[in-house]
Amino acid sequence: MRLHSLIAHLVTRRRGAVWSAVAVICALSAYVLVTRMKLDSEVLNLLPSGFESVEGLKVYNRDFSQVRDLTFALVCQPEDVDKLEEFAPQFAQKLRAQSWCLRVLSGAPIETPEGVRDLQSIAIPLLLNLEPGAFNETLSLLQPEKIRERLHRLHSELEAGSPRPQIELGLDPLGVIAPALKPFASNAAIEEDQPLTSPDRTMRVFLTVTNQESIGAVECQKLMRDVKKFQANAHQGWDGGPLQILVTGRSAYVAEISLSMRHDIVVTLLGSILLVGGVFYIGFHRWLPLVGMGLTLLLCCLVALAAGLLIFHQLNMVTIGFCAILIGLGVDFAILVFGRYQQSRDEGIDHSEAVSEAVRNLGKAIFFGALTTAVGFMALMLAGSQGFTQLGVLIALGISFAGIFMMTVFFLFLPRKNSRPRNDWMFALVKNYVRSAVQRPGFMLWISTPVLLILTAVALSPKPPIIFDVSTHSMEPKRSDAGYALKTIMEKMPSRWEPVIGIVKATNAQQLHDDWQKVAAHWDELQVAGKIKSYSTPAALALSPARIQTNRQKLRMANLTVARDTLEAAIAAEGFSHDTFESGFILLDQLRSAADPSYQLPDWRTKLPQTSSWWFLVDRYFAQDPLLTTGFVTTNEPVATQEQKEMLHHELPVEGVPMVLSGWSFTLTDLVPWSHHQLIVISALMAIFDATLLALLYRDWRLWLIQVATLALAVCAMIASMKLLHIPLNLLNVLAFRLVLAIGVDYGIYVLLVWQKARQLDHDVAGVVKPVILAGLTAICGFGSLGAANNPTLAGLGYACAIGLFWSLAATIFFTLPAAAAAEPKSWREESLRPRVQQPENV
Amino acid sequence: MFKRKSQARVVCTVALAFAFLAPLLQAEPLSPADLKALLARIREKRAAAPQVQADFQEEKTIHMLNKPITSSGRISFQAPNKFRREAKGNSPSITVSDGQHLWIYYPKFQSAEHYSLGKRSPLDAGIAAITASLNLENVEATYHITGTKEPDGYQLQLLPRNPSMKRFLQTFSIRMNNDLQVVRTEMVQPNGDRIVTTYSNESRAPISASTFEFTPPAGTEVTTPLGK
Repeated sequence: MRLHSLIAHLVTRRRGAVWSAVAVICALSAYVLVTRMKLDSEVLNLLPSGFESVEGLKVYNRDFSQVRDLTFALVCQPEDVDKLEEFAPQFAQKLRAQSWCLRVLSGAPIETPEGVRDLQSIAIPLLLNLEPGAFNETLSLLQPEKIRERLHRLHSELEAGSPRPQIELGLDPLGVIAPALKPFASNAAIEEDQPLTSPDRTMRVFLTVTNQESIGAVECQKLMRDVKKFQANAHQGWDGGPLQILVTGRSAYVAEISLSMRHDIVVTLLGSILLVGGVFYIGFHRWLPLVGMGLTLLLCCLVALAAGLLIFHQLNMVTIGFCAILIGLGVDFAILVFGRYQQSRDEGIDHSEAVSEAVRNLGKAIFFGALTTAVGFMALMLAGSQGFTQLGVLIALGISFAGIFMMTVFFLFLPRKNSRPRNDWMFALVKNYVRSAVQRPGFMLWISTPVLLILTAVALSPKPPIIFDVSTHSMEPKRSDAGYALKTIMEKMPSRWEPVIGIVKATNAQQLHDDWQKVAAHWDELQVAGKIKSYSTPAALALSPARIQTNRQKLRMANLTVARDTLEAAIAAEGFSHDTFESGFILLDQLRSAADPSYQLPDWRTKLPQTSSWWFLVDRYFAQDPLLTTGFVTTNEPVATQEQKEMLHHELPVEGVPMVLSGWSFTLTDLVPWSHHQLIVISALMAIFDATLLALLYRDWRLWLIQVATLALAVCAMIASMKLLHIPLNLLNVLAFRLVLAIGVDYGIYVLLVWQKARQLDHDVAGVVKPVILAGLTAICGFGSLGAANNPTLAGLGYACAIGLFWSLAATIFFTLPAAAAAEPKSWREESLRPRVQQPENV
Repeated sequence: MFKRKSQARVVCTVALAFAFLAPLLQAEPLSPADLKALLARIREKRAAAPQVQADFQEEKTIHMLNKPITSSGRISFQAPNKFRREAKGNSPSITVSDGQHLWIYYPKFQSAEHYSLGKRSPLDAGIAAITASLNLENVEATYHITGTKEPDGYQLQLLPRNPSMKRFLQTFSIRMNNDLQVVRTEMVQPNGDRIVTTYSNESRAPISASTFEFTPPAGTEVTTPLGK
């Protein structure tokens, strides 16, 4: 039994068995979904792997605790700046009182008594880490005459009204902490590097670290619910005008994105179903096949999702676009199959035979259609992005299942009794158009060819340029509170642009120290040369065990007892209060302990209280693994061009120090060539695949040439439309070009395969052109519905695909068809249009 | 000997008389209108002669020191924010500000400190407090002011309005004679430190611009304690 007959037999005579098989497949798929469903909300998995900058960004996001940071901003009216200054400490206090808040940075730590005390607690290891010359010089400050001289000078300065002695004695009564902190000082200038108050004083920024255990979507949503409650009540005590309380940070973004996923699923799926259903009903005026089509498509989605979960174990958020895309694509097959089936029924053929006829006539077209589309989506694997690989594989699987199920399961939903034929205005219209295009192809070509050529000229012309948006903003959700907060902070503090990060991983503490010493020296040269604006490194905190050992030996030579006695005497002589020097005496005791070789020096991390604001500084540089560190380079301008990126790539690394350069702006700039590669090379490969397939399929160079020209013109028209409508390309919607090539080529295949076999040209070709138009419109609706997604990646992809498919469809109808007719002699066309049997006009 | 005893008796009598009569010479609080009028008069006077020079004597009670420290010298001021303060004695110093930079020079140590002003550092609040007593221009914007009329002049109590000033200054009182010359100021800081300054020999003659300029002498060690 031939395949089409077997299928017809099964779906008409063995319906129970087929239904049972469908039920088993549904049950198995549902079981897989329920037991294994795991969504990956990591936006970085959408970026291609294999890029050092992308991997660096992933490491930075995964291993550094800054991922648990939330940044709050208070924004007031200009007349309330003094009130804001007064309110800021209250707000910081409220933040500290929140159960989810681990610590808060509301100002430079050095300006608070706690910050000074915390710094004093880690002074000994920093002192012992000084380079030999600096350590000797610092140790000499403990000589009796130096102590006496220093205290006398401080007394004189106090008399003169200098603020220095008060600052100096508050932090460093003994005079040895300041030299110890000197290497640390450049890094400690948080306020200078990243100011916490805007220049116009209308905004105050508060950095917080939360205590959330994981950074998964559910935890972030929970945290943000608490944060929203806090935001709602945090105005208490404020008596000025309008005050905005903004919050941003990774958790805020993850919560928003994961919540918007739900919105996107509902909106895009419902949108797809409504639009596709509407188009189908307008085309065929039947509900039952529409319901059958919808259920068959849902089955495709279900099975493909289950297969995807079995293959990948978890699915990225971008795959939520899969259902909408699959409905947009799979419906093509349903419309084509049903169109052919209905044509047979209207010609008086019975249900079973009509099924067999539909499968026999369209099996090849649907096979090749599914093949080109599946290959087109599988090509997403070449992007190297985990998220898009999943999307490509899922759609390729889904489209294959759609091809199979539309040729089998779909027929279970079709009524065995045919309803009364109705007047099909659409078919009549299409048939008239086909007849006219075949009779006078030149007329139609004179209209369509110039339009397409003008659009091609626009596409190839450098003006207007196509907008290529590589900013981080292009990846943010459209309606995002976190995005608004970040934008406001960036606007109010234009000097706060994102630095380039250099990640260094060492195998031991000594290597880490040596590496950062080299890097710091090199970056210092770059700063002096004006190649970078500033930099900060963990060099001061990357302690050298060898150096500490040497300095401890030197410390044993110092007479700390005499130093103590001299200090006591000098305090009395200069009239200083003893309390002022209390921390100095404690430090002397600690130095005495450190000089003892049997004494185990405590790890400075254990000495720094968990609530200390200095952790903001430490966590900036050190991951959970203290040997994984990062330094920051602030460029002269925000990183946006290839030249900047190349310069940084060339200048920042240091020979012998393995370093990964990253940062969002740096990475996105790094990915621009990849994106261009995606746009040009892989789309070209896809076009070559299509062209080869078409050559094998048609075996007619004229039809082949027409189809290839159609594809080229459609893609150019797509580019021109995006230029004229100012729709930007971003790093991800460039993938739309290959999708358009993959889907657009199908329309030509459907039309030209029937063209080659038609017995009566206008009737047979109209019989396929009408479903192609309906299929094209449904695909456009399917992709267009993605435009409603809050996720800009999906929305951008949806818009680009919808525009591309519109031009593919238009080019197929108004260029391919008349061009194919024009390629034939007039006598052949007239002969082909002559009816051989009377056909009803209601297909 | 007799003469000396007689003089001492006179001094004691006068002192006792002041002590008994003092309650009778109660200071009268100034009404808001009177205060406004007084500030307007001060502004008028300052506008006529925006510069002033005077001798000063200062007593600082600082929590870091067991005993108060005293110093004396001459201060010059040019509205709105230029000043020069030269302290004499065992620990001489010269403090010069042109409104943007502040220099403190120690001749004895051949060292100088340089500070940049206008960066909203705590130092700015301190300088604003110092110049407020000499300038009194627009003080209403920075301080809540109350005043009293006293037999020999006026006493103004200034309470800082904005938080940055509050961090530096708790209360600030200015005493003026009937000619509206500042004769005494007293600053109390939140940490309890207190600075009392008395002024004498006030002059409103023009001051050379170079007075408010400072270039460290050759060989001076210059430091920037609060950074650039």
